[in-house]
Amino acid sequence: MSPTSSPAPAGHPVAHKTDWMGAAMQKRIASRYASERRFKFMGLAAVTLSSLFLAFLLFVMVGNGAKGFITTEATLTVDMPAATGSISADQLTGPRLSATISSIDVRRIYDDAVEAQYGENGTRYFASTAWTALRSQLIANPDLLMGKADFWLPTSSDVDRAAKDRSTPEAEADYARLRQAGEVRQTFNWNFLTGSDGTDPARVGIWGALKGSLITIAVTLLLAFPVGVLAAVYLEEYATKNRLTDLIEVSINNLAAVPSIIFGLLGLAVFLQFFAMPRSAAIVGGLTLALMTMPVIVIASRNAIKAVPPSIREAAMGVGASPIQVVFHHVLPLAIPGIMTGTIIGMARALGETAPLLMIGMRAFTTTPPDSLTDPATVLPVQIFLWSDEVNRGFVEKTSAAIIVLLVFLLTMNAVAVYLRNRFETRW
Amino acid sequence: MIRKLAFACLPALLLAGCQDPASTNQGSSRSEIRIVGSSTVFPFAKKVSEEFVNFDPERRSPILESTGTGGGIELFCSGVGANTPDIVNASRRMKKNEFDRCITNGVEEIVEVIIGFDGIALAQSKNGPKINLSVAEFYTALAAEPFGKGPNTTRRWPDINPALPDTRINIFGPPSTSGTRDALEEIIMEKGCKTDPAVGALADSDKDKFEEICHTVRTDQGYTDAGENDNLIVQKLSTNPDAVGIFSYSYLADNAETVRGIPINGVEPSYATIESGQYPGARTLFIYIKKKHVDVIPGLREFLAEYLRGGEPDGYLTRIGLISSPAKMRSEMLERIKSLPTLDGAVLE
Repeated sequence: MSPTSSPAPAGHPVAHKTDWMGAAMQKRIASRYASERRFKFMGLAAVTLSSLFLAFLLFVMVGNGAKGFITTEATLTVDMPAATGSISADQLTGPRLSATISSIDVRRIYDDAVEAQYGENGTRYFASTAWTALRSQLIANPDLLMGKADFWLPTSSDVDRAAKDRSTPEAEADYARLRQAGEVRQTFNWNFLTGSDGTDPARVGIWGALKGSLITIAVTLLLAFPVGVLAAVYLEEYATKNRLTDLIEVSINNLAAVPSIIFGLLGLAVFLQFFAMPRSAAIVGGLTLALMTMPVIVIASRNAIKAVPPSIREAAMGVGASPIQVVFHHVLPLAIPGIMTGTIIGMARALGETAPLLMIGMRAFTTTPPDSLTDPATVLPVQIFLWSDEVNRGFVEKTSAAIIVLLVFLLTMNAVAVYLRNRFETRW
Repeated sequence: MIRKLAFACLPALLLAGCQDPASTNQGSSRSEIRIVGSSTVFPFAKKVSEEFVNFDPERRSPILESTGTGGGIELFCSGVGANTPDIVNASRRMKKNEFDRCITNGVEEIVEVIIGFDGIALAQSKNGPKINLSVAEFYTALAAEPFGKGPNTTRRWPDINPALPDTRINIFGPPSTSGTRDALEEIIMEKGCKTDPAVGALADSDKDKFEEICHTVRTDQGYTDAGENDNLIVQKLSTNPDAVGIFSYSYLADNAETVRGIPINGVEPSYATIESGQYPGARTLFIYIKKKHVDVIPGLREFLAEYLRGGEPDGYLTRIGLISSPAKMRSEMLERIKSLPTLDGAVLE
């Protein structure tokens, strides 16, 4: 039988032998390969483009922000005994120390020492709050009060910028003078990591905002995670399918898509006005963000719970487990990776949120970090927003440095969550 | 069933738990000072609170929020107690209706303190032809519809007054989001606008119409938004000798080598003329304090003293742009923060 040699009967499909070597076929094959290559290339281009954006962002941020972690300091020689009169060693011991320190007018001593060493207008070299740095060094090391000592104090923001990059002509001349005299150095800016907001970019720090973020996010997690997971478990495992649960499902999905500013208004109306909670407090911020994060967690958790095969539940029931045992011993452990993923996404969004927090007053300026849930606080993204709005040029690098801190915080949080997820993941 | 109920109640319990800090907070005291109000006064207040804490690190840092004068007074007047601010910063005097709202909400004893002045300066390049404007002339050059008589058709200064130098009207000023712009509209433009008695009468009869006529800046080539950056306006003036710039007085003082102030009604902008109240482009900066909070909120008296100390002629606030008030007024204010006399609503407009 040779179907190629004899014509087929009419009405029957003809099985032609494919001519792989024919010109038309070769062209078709080439075009298929080409379209494959094009598709691969487009995918690669998309990945490259997004990594380029990320690389650009990181490059710019690290480029600008790295300088924010460096501070310029100039030396100041202070003859303490001459300025304070004699202080006996036993005045520096134990409880008498703080009384001794507060009896000293550090500011006047600082002013006098600067004038003696740098001339009449010498304070222009230093940050306007440099004398507080002198005081904290004295408190940290009271023995310095007993003799003549050199102190490294932060320079003014203008001189600091002259040391790093460009600044006003006067500041650049000042910096050149300091450098020639060997009276200036650059060190790691510990104050940036331990201090709080301020008016002088040379002395501001991020710790206040970081602590505010930690407290806020803890409140959010403690509320949104259990409530979200319990809601998901109830809806998936216990609730009967009817119009009411359908309505709830639709509402939760809608809630997850509501713009964050609306949650800010809700927080303002409910927590501040109705419950009369304190303005600017971390607890209100946490509650507001919890409202925003909960739907995301509910949706992710429901999907994760839905993905647990029914056979697991039936097998557990079959050996006599109660419904709650089924949920806690079998369903949740298997669903936990998915739930964690949803929680990470929700928490990352909450951590980067600004708009709703502005509504409830978490943009307040305060120079002490929050100590409790009801203390006024600000959070990292709001701090970044506030600094980016500052007129003083010195705040530019501080803004970028704060962004780096926020990114590091975010990555650490996610890394911990991913580690926990992998740790608790059950395979079968 | 009980278990189901427990699950359902958990969120409710959590919410109820959240009420606790509020209920304990209300009524009882707060350990730090709360300040709201004007964005113009905000940088000064920030500096004061920083100094306040630096002076004694044991003190709690005051909490500042920049809400704008109107928004700040609304919060301030919402009641007495730990949940309401102690001080409101204002870049204008409290209005009668705001005061009445305060009274209705139980904020009866308010102390008014003047912390200093803030001036709006008109300036031009030192190389330009000298201009001397009256408020009415300046208003005519700036308004969208001068005195409500149709669109602004003036193109060159002589269109307004033949005595003015023959150059194009080219004004650089703040955008509508800026506090300086508000001050420009409320201080200078309104004064110019009221020189026409017919328009002045509108202020009482038809407030909306009055504001439309007096507060709307032209949008054609006569006026250019130069952005929030006052330094930029100074730069534009030095490259553009015919142009007129509008910015906060402190920038004029800082750039005296490149630009000079334009006299309004014959009065040059200077510390002396602003202090004395002669210069029409100045505004007074106020703070209002709740008397009932003094001695309840720790450190409030010291904070007020610090505020006035910073506003002295060689104080740290004058270094960042505040214009201090005359010596007589300063001593009166010092007296005021000691005796805390209550503001009488009758003196307000």
